[in-house]
Amino acid sequence: MIRDRTWGSRLTDIVILVVLISITLTCILPIWYTLALSLSSNSAAAAGQVWLWPVGFNFNAYTQILKDTQFFGSFWISIQRVALGAALNFVVVLLMAYPLSRTDRQFKARGVLMWILVFCMLFNGGLIPLYLTVKGLGMLNSVWALVLVGGAQTLVFNVILTVNFFRNLPKELDEAALVDGAGPWYSLFRIYLPLAVPVLATITLFSIVYHWNEFLYGLIFMTREQYYPLQTYIQQLVVSVDPATMSEDQYRRLSELSNRTLDAAKIFIAMLPIMVVYPFLQRYFIHGITLGSVKE
Amino acid sequence: MRIKSFDKHYYLMLLPGYLWLIVFSIVPMFGIAIAFQYFNPGKGIFHSEWAGLEHFRYMFVLKDTRDVFFNTLIIAVLKIIAHLVVPLVFALMLNELRKLVVKRWIQTVVYLPHFLSWVILGGIILDLFSYNGPVNQLGAMFGFKPTLFFAQAELFPWLVVGSDVWKEFGFNTIIYLAALTGINPALYEAAGMDGAGRWKSLWHITLPGIRTTAVLLAVLSLGNVLNAGFDQIFNLYNPLVYSTGDIIDTWVYRTGLLNLQYELATAVGLLKSVIGFILISVSYFLAYRLINYRIF
Amino acid sequence: MKRKVKAACVVALSAVLALGACSSGSETATEPTTEEEQTQSTEPADPYGSYEEPMTISIGMQVDPTDKDLPTGDTPLDNQYTRQIEEALNIKVEHAFTASAANMRQKISLAIASNDLPDAMVVNAVELRQMVAAGQLADLTQVYERYASPEIKDIIDKTDGAALKSVTFDGKMYAIPGVQADADGIHIMWIRQDWLDKLGLEPPKSMEELATVARAFVEEDPDGNGSADTIGISGPQSGDGKMYANFLESKNNLYGFDAIFSAYGAFPGYWLDDGSGKPVYGSTLPETKEALSGLRDLYAQGLIDPEMAVREASDEPIINGKSGIFFAPWWMGYGPLTNAVKNDPEANWQAYALPLDADGAFRPHAATPSTEFVVVRKDYANPEVPMKMLNNLFKNEMENTFDPSKGGPGFYPLRVVFAPSDEIEFTNKAIKEVLAGTKTKEDYVNDRPYKLLPSDLENITKIKQEPYDDWSIGTWTPDADWGAWTRAYSIMVGGNPIVDTEMERINSLIYEQTPLMESRWVNLKKMEDEMFLKIVMGVAPVDSFDQFVEDWKRQGGEQITNEVAEAIQQ
Repeated sequence: MIRDRTWGSRLTDIVILVVLISITLTCILPIWYTLALSLSSNSAAAAGQVWLWPVGFNFNAYTQILKDTQFFGSFWISIQRVALGAALNFVVVLLMAYPLSRTDRQFKARGVLMWILVFCMLFNGGLIPLYLTVKGLGMLNSVWALVLVGGAQTLVFNVILTVNFFRNLPKELDEAALVDGAGPWYSLFRIYLPLAVPVLATITLFSIVYHWNEFLYGLIFMTREQYYPLQTYIQQLVVSVDPATMSEDQYRRLSELSNRTLDAAKIFIAMLPIMVVYPFLQRYFIHGITLGSVKE
Repeated sequence: MRIKSFDKHYYLMLLPGYLWLIVFSIVPMFGIAIAFQYFNPGKGIFHSEWAGLEHFRYMFVLKDTRDVFFNTLIIAVLKIIAHLVVPLVFALMLNELRKLVVKRWIQTVVYLPHFLSWVILGGIILDLFSYNGPVNQLGAMFGFKPTLFFAQAELFPWLVVGSDVWKEFGFNTIIYLAALTGINPALYEAAGMDGAGRWKSLWHITLPGIRTTAVLLAVLSLGNVLNAGFDQIFNLYNPLVYSTGDIIDTWVYRTGLLNLQYELATAVGLLKSVIGFILISVSYFLAYRLINYRIF
Repeated sequence: MKRKVKAACVVALSAVLALGACSSGSETATEPTTEEEQTQSTEPADPYGSYEEPMTISIGMQVDPTDKDLPTGDTPLDNQYTRQIEEALNIKVEHAFTASAANMRQKISLAIASNDLPDAMVVNAVELRQMVAAGQLADLTQVYERYASPEIKDIIDKTDGAALKSVTFDGKMYAIPGVQADADGIHIMWIRQDWLDKLGLEPPKSMEELATVARAFVEEDPDGNGSADTIGISGPQSGDGKMYANFLESKNNLYGFDAIFSAYGAFPGYWLDDGSGKPVYGSTLPETKEALSGLRDLYAQGLIDPEMAVREASDEPIINGKSGIFFAPWWMGYGPLTNAVKNDPEANWQAYALPLDADGAFRPHAATPSTEFVVVRKDYANPEVPMKMLNNLFKNEMENTFDPSKGGPGFYPLRVVFAPSDEIEFTNKAIKEVLAGTKTKEDYVNDRPYKLLPSDLENITKIKQEPYDDWSIGTWTPDADWGAWTRAYSIMVGGNPIVDTEMERINSLIYEQTPLMESRWVNLKKMEDEMFLKIVMGVAPVDSFDQFVEDWKRQGGEQITNEVAEAIQQ
């Protein structure tokens, strides 16, 4: 790209850089603030004195979390959920995307099957039948409820993304394989799979992020808190309670439990895994999203 | 080329995915029947009395439902527009940067909020905007009176849209950046030789070069017109801002589960699904007609 | 293809049927035992009798995971309470589900809606009605007659039928009602006496004086830190905070404005007699409009917490010594005051039955005695098991068997409170008698239903020093025993205004939902809450109240009023 070197242009460059950097800063500051809060003293946090630097620096919140078995139990459930959910998503999406990326001539049912998927994505019977289904399958309190129910809802979107990616791959590869007498399985695993790394990395990242962040199903399908995934566990720390529905001793216990620095520390730890993972997957997903959704 | 014997392999590949969807998406749809019943939990869905369209009639009388449809529409449309424009501007600015290292860093950082859950971000944002929070303290330095941002109904939709744009713009930038790199550099060189400045190049080369992408994204987002973001609003709102901030999904959740009005909640949810299905179909055909693109 | 789709449909359909079969299969009753046959008879049975065969009961229970009260090794399923129940009654408790206080309502709703019920659980009035309507509950009339212990019956009888009425539908009793002390429903003014003294002010008797005092608290730096960071009057918190208790949740409204409303003669949220025997909804009356307008002025002048209704926790500024006044029931020692005094031992919170209305009277609204109900699933083979557990709880609380330091009473399965209606007043007076030396502990040995009285009388001198007629914070020594202080400070400081003030208590005509309310009330209530908050916070004009009244009547309020009229005829 050709650039002119006038002063006006340089000034524009500087303005752009400043704007970009300040916008970028707003993306880090909230996280920094949470970290500062978690390292502050409880009274400073409650009085709202903390801003960019911890006040009354200490690690109490973190040492307290180390003793919290519930927190680590939930953390472990979330890890399991992410691992199972992402793996299952990977396999099923890959298998579905191949036939659905055939042309209408190659696979006649494609159109109908695709609309069924869209239908599934949009319609639902509400939480109560979902609960009855999960219960009927004996999956209450099982991590599989989270993996399968959540996974089914994100499945369609991932399939559509992958189908689009497949359709944009050069047709010649596929046809050459057919001429050599290779079947669809060979074609899928030997030709498409190696080429589909970007999109599969993308949907895997989507799946990881979804399963890590989703909180509502934990609340619905887990009958005891020891089975909660991490986000559900954190969510219930933040909601407030109505004293009119409680007796006074319940209320008393609750009021002794609130603790802002501890909450901040839990929130910060809950962010860590995602912050560690995404920079590594980034170069794949840039490729995956753009190829999957946009065809120029 | 169609090879008939491949069909059975295709179905085999599709089997796990469709089984998954049947169990966790299609079967629970029997709950839609609740919308047409006097649902009695003791008798269950199969033995409750039929109500015909009564709940739908009540739904149209109720001011609440009109409000939530209206709120949903406003918030969703604002979000759609902002998600189209802000990332575009950001991508254009980023594209003007010459230092690649800075560019890469900025990119990596602005994705970050996309990966954090609303459970977590909701907690952080409410904290930042609280009465004694950093935002008000900052405002006080410039002589502004402290405000209760999340108590003001007329502010709430903007805060929701703003925070959602903040969370997602970095991620949405990816697609535009890809489109920008797809523009032939020779065009810029030719323009430079013709003496076109930076603004002229932007107007005559860059913007036309990504027009298709922008149109496609606009069409695709049509399907989201009734999705204003459950997770976000659920974690940010309070009764004071129900009048402008309560959306279909949060209302259905509260009404159906917390207030025990299953029938009404299911009816409203069903209406939303139907409208969503129509919108998706419209965007499917629009994309096909306007830019000859098959969404799925 | 078509055939394939059909096949898929068949698969789906059969799965649905299988599910239906599953869910109805799980509801079939377990084998009836001999005990069930006994319930057919009407003869009194032993309320404390142990079972020969081990019984199991699955319950839904509130458990807070951050609660670390239990000693190491104990769990919500295995602790002093469950072990005692197993030993004394041969009943084994299982958890169908547990949830934190914040998620409890939602879990119960889910259980009701999916008809996936535990054998027994504790529900609120709305849930109770819903379950009765769905035919999910066991008729407990016989169980109560035969098994309830005399003390519990006595406490329930003392409510003049109110407790029984709240659980009786078509002449049958569908739940065991908990009974809470009347005092829980009286909302009084808590105020920083040390701030008043410092600024040379008296406790505000009227609304004008209240404004004056609140202004002084906001503007004259009562905490002496040199910055204007104090709140005059605390307000309700975000989420579930309410400006006033209502007929469905008629007690324990913390940080609301109940006493201010009644100072205007307004009783929003209550069903009142319009003077001609017809019911009228308090929120629609002109007095309420006037009160709202008064509150609006207070808020506009910055005398009410500017962050009201948005603040996550209204107790925070109270604990941190930043708020001067709030309205709440007597038990605030259990509320924010323990932490407030721990933070600042000088924080002299005192309570008054103020402000007074135009006639110079304190006329608070009164509560229903029962807000928690123990219900039993319809097909549970031994519906008397929960009743026995409650008998056992009450007996052991009287005998002081349990050690609260090994896990609070909330860990007792299916616990609801059974308190004599006048528990607070009675205890307050008894403590004064004993301190004055006019009576001794032994004079009260026969008042067994006041189950905490012996320990109250035992502990009082540990934490209360002379002079015994002054209740300022300086005369207490909470460090000696915080647990005892919490209770004694609540009963004495919070109980004094109730004991010492002549007051006319305003009752709601009903405390339960009528049938139409099931589908309409939530939406009407939401409209009311929003409109009133907007008026107070200055977002909507005061006259939008009139529009609200019209909308309220049109959107079902009128029909509901008729239903209430019918309900009180019966």
